[in-house]
Amino acid sequence: MTISKSTLRGSNRIKENDKRRVVDETSRKRRQRKVMELLESDNYHDDPHADLVMSKKVPKFEDNLEQRTTRTKKKERTADYYQNKFRKNFQQLVEEDRNEAEENNRVSYMDIKCEESTLPPRHFCAVCGFLGQYNCLSCGTRFCSIRCMDTHMETRCLKWAA
Amino acid sequence: MADAERNASLLRKNDKQKTIQKTVRRGRSSSGNSGTDYCKSDKMNAVVVDSGAFTIKAGHSSRDNPTIIPNCIMKAKSERKRLFIGNQISECRDCSGLYYLLPCERGYITKWDVQKPVWDYTFSKNVCPINDYPVILTQPLFNFKLIQDCMDEIFFEEYEASSMLRLNPTDMARLKYNEDHNLTDDTPVLIIDTGFSFTHVIPYIKGNKYLKGIKRLNVGGKLLTNHLKDIISYRQYNVMEETYVINQVKEDTCYVAEDVKAELKLAEKYGKKNNIVKNYVLPDFNNIRRGYIQDPDKVDEGAENCQILRLNNERFLVPEILFHPSDIGMKSMGIAEAIVKSIFLCPLEYQRALARHILIIGGNCKFPGFKERLFKELRSLLPHLWHVNIYQPEDPILYTWQSGSALLSYPNIKSLLVSKKEYDELGSALIQQRFNHWNNSIVVENEEGKTPSQPSPLEEFSLMNNLKGKSVFGKHDIGTSSSETTTMTPTPTSSRILINLSEILQEAASEPGKEVVGAPGTQSAAAAFAEIVEKNAIITTASAAALASGAAVLPNDNENTNEQTDQDGITAKKIRLRDRSTSQDFPLVPPQEEDPFENLVLFPFGRNSYI
Ligand SMILES: [Zn+2]
Ligand SMILES: [Zn+2]
Repeated sequence: MTISKSTLRGSNRIKENDKRRVVDETSRKRRQRKVMELLESDNYHDDPHADLVMSKKVPKFEDNLEQRTTRTKKKERTADYYQNKFRKNFQQLVEEDRNEAEENNRVSYMDIKCEESTLPPRHFCAVCGFLGQYNCLSCGTRFCSIRCMDTHMETRCLKWAA
Repeated sequence: MADAERNASLLRKNDKQKTIQKTVRRGRSSSGNSGTDYCKSDKMNAVVVDSGAFTIKAGHSSRDNPTIIPNCIMKAKSERKRLFIGNQISECRDCSGLYYLLPCERGYITKWDVQKPVWDYTFSKNVCPINDYPVILTQPLFNFKLIQDCMDEIFFEEYEASSMLRLNPTDMARLKYNEDHNLTDDTPVLIIDTGFSFTHVIPYIKGNKYLKGIKRLNVGGKLLTNHLKDIISYRQYNVMEETYVINQVKEDTCYVAEDVKAELKLAEKYGKKNNIVKNYVLPDFNNIRRGYIQDPDKVDEGAENCQILRLNNERFLVPEILFHPSDIGMKSMGIAEAIVKSIFLCPLEYQRALARHILIIGGNCKFPGFKERLFKELRSLLPHLWHVNIYQPEDPILYTWQSGSALLSYPNIKSLLVSKKEYDELGSALIQQRFNHWNNSIVVENEEGKTPSQPSPLEEFSLMNNLKGKSVFGKHDIGTSSSETTTMTPTPTSSRILINLSEILQEAASEPGKEVVGAPGTQSAAAAFAEIVEKNAIITTASAAALASGAAVLPNDNENTNEQTDQDGITAKKIRLRDRSTSQDFPLVPPQEEDPFENLVLFPFGRNSYI
């Protein structure tokens, strides 16, 4: 961790930093995982219709299906039927695939994931986006200037250190 | 910008109406002699469906372009009485705070209660009815077995498709690429498919996916939009709930920089000297339905009461994640590194040819500058004497769907389709193997100069004899198909069955001249095989076939990778060397005396809300 000259310049800030808890490696990793989860999420907010009873009832297109030319109507299944019959979460599916791949000695879903980069990471200021050469003593977040450091301290740093 | 978009959507609507009329007429003429009349014309017609995690591209193969249907159900804050499925979102007055129900997780369908209604909508009579046409449906690489089971059930049992072929989008795209460029079917092609959920790098050698060279980068359009949402929410307004709008912001403003360092320097400039910074007028869903970039030289009266986003380095740093996932802390190589890695994992004799035929498809290719940057990086990472050629189709999103027509003109397409009858007789497990093996059977037949025939299901199994050293996912393992022998170590329980089967298959294989249909050996082999699949899922067609022909099926990983280690060592060294030079001339930014964001008020995360 680098201690920059600009950090040392203000004595108040040093005192502040002393009081500040240094977030350990495990918590930093947990935070990173949370960020990655957020980046994969479908929505940030809750279902706006969650309180409505109708929200579960997805309209069906039976009218249309009935008019298909040569169709018999013997098998009309609800969406729930498929959801219940084929209910497995993503982790379970990956696990099954891995087991089957091992038994058959084939390449699996997990095998083709990209490895870690051999290039050194680049560092951008988390606040303004430009290159950031300093990192936060508490949580390791990058920033570029005192101004951005202050913003970081007031916002995301505290939130995550808690 | 907005006008162009509107025109485009109008055109699409017209196009859609025309095709609906066409299909209705067709449907009438074909009713009665179900599903047979398409065989009469020399080119087969089908319903081609590229079912992506973000949009479904569906349409009859006689059309030039498909209907694009968002693969999701949406809930609007403004309309509590209804759900919007697929294209119905165009009926939604206010798209702020749209809530998404997406059927896919990391690109694979897991929420059937969402996927089923969207498919119902897609195949309803006003959008893209199946009628009696064969269905060509895409599925992601390594589509899990349970998902395929469900797809079978929905399409064969519920939609009563007369026949179906499922394949990876890149399988299809390769055919069109070959056709458009007059290349032979065995030309090595490297396809990069960068979509909503992930980015795949897939080398095709002799028409087959080379499994050991495939790479998946877990960065796609979804992650980029979510990241843009996050940084805008941190720096300007809270737009965390505005995925729909921010995705449009991304599409309208983001681009790939050719040189990030130089671009950052430009973005640091003030006033007129900075031509990167743009003001983006956010839609208010009252006067403005779609946001747009403001022209700095004109007075924009329409945007007077609208909220405006100021975008600067975000414009190019967001797509940058594709090239450097480590920018957001992901421990993964970027797209260019993955391509180089993939090429060097392939057998030496094909590496140069792969670099010569790189095809890029998927929505992320549409970032301006994407292709140029990729070329620049590959050019510097690959050996100087190699030709590097990247082909980006006119529409990288629709290319896969458009390649359906190349697939349908394939001489033995009919033998690749699985009919409803075959599904009823054989069940999901066996037809899935047929889908997964399709690339191989084409190549095998071409190599032997056979004329395409219409095999019965039993004959199809006799083709197992030809499947040397192929894995269950149907990709050719070139490293193991040679005459080298490796010891098989079957599990004790399965060994007896394996040996029995191998004898039967050997018997069948020893009569190559004989007409395969109805050959007693083949029939019993198929029967034995079906029995085994029931009893023991461990044994695959690949292993059985390999046993029969005496070839080894267990790939010797060490032998293969040893050859590559040297190559890898060289590349790694080269990359490291490059790094040193880059990090040296990567300037340290001096503390800024004048802040370019002086006039920009920073709203800490979550305090201010957009709309
Ligand atoms: Zn900064
Ligand atoms: Zn911090």
